[in-house]
Amino acid sequence: ATYSLANERLRALEDIEREIGAILQNAGTVILELSKEKTNERLLDRQAAAFTASVQHVEAELSAQIRYLTQVATGQPHEGSSYSSRKDCQMALKRLDYARLKLSEVARTCEQMLEN
Amino acid sequence: MAQQRALPQSKETLLQSYNKRLKDDVKSIMDNFTEIIKTAKIEDETQVSRATQGEQDNYEMHVRAANIVRAGESLMKLVSDLKQFLILNDFPSVNEAIDQRNQQLRALQEECDRKLIALRDEVSIDLYELEEEYYSSSSSLCEANDLPLCEAYWRLDPDTDSTDCLSAPLLASPEPSAGGPLQAAAPTHSHAGGPGPTEHA
Repeated sequence: ATYSLANERLRALEDIEREIGAILQNAGTVILELSKEKTNERLLDRQAAAFTASVQHVEAELSAQIRYLTQVATGQPHEGSSYSSRKDCQMALKRLDYARLKLSEVARTCEQMLEN
Repeated sequence: MAQQRALPQSKETLLQSYNKRLKDDVKSIMDNFTEIIKTAKIEDETQVSRATQGEQDNYEMHVRAANIVRAGESLMKLVSDLKQFLILNDFPSVNEAIDQRNQQLRALQEECDRKLIALRDEVSIDLYELEEEYYSSSSSLCEANDLPLCEAYWRLDPDTDSTDCLSAPLLASPEPSAGGPLQAAAPTHSHAGGPGPTEHA
């Protein structure tokens, strides 16, 4: 759920990667089909159409991604960070740890008193 | 300064080179595929003998198939480059991610602090009860010299009887020269000052 926007784009790129694999697969199937004595024309047509569609889709998607990057890229490195809040959070956790330590000391003292 | 100004241009050229690579690779895939299909056609006999022609076609197909695979791999590389570029330079999503992380961490911190404060309130009450128990029990009499808490108490008024000593820690607590435990207990006493005596009464 976190980092949804960036993740979406990355996931789209992963889909494109898979589609590139599908392109090669389709091309291979088409050529394999051609090499057969009796070719199944329907299958051939379907695979060839899938191949062309995949290639066009990949090209369009990648063009769109590059166009988006042209829009957002400024050339300056990003300078924001979550370090300060992370530090604050760590301090809070340390406080809790320390409190727990002290409490366990108190508990030990109590037990000692009970034993005596 | 000059370097900073040069950077956007290089980004621009980088993106343009990405675009060029994309176009080249796609074109290469399509062209090579078409050529392979064309080569598959059996041509009429020419001056070149059948066997030679077949060998040549075989070789050409190998090369073209390798070209297609190379173009595909190049596209993969392009996608990975784009991913990297996206992670490094996609400011809107980077900002969003940082905001979300900040919110998460702040919520966690607030929860921690809230729990700590709740713990403090509980512990101050418990400590008060513990001390009460301790001063009214016999162990405080026999081990008075061992514990600084007790010591401070006894030093302050040594002749108080056991009924009065219940409220005595409250009086003794502001003493700055008191020992470690008492110092630690002092703020809790001042905090629990309100509910303390009423409970006691």
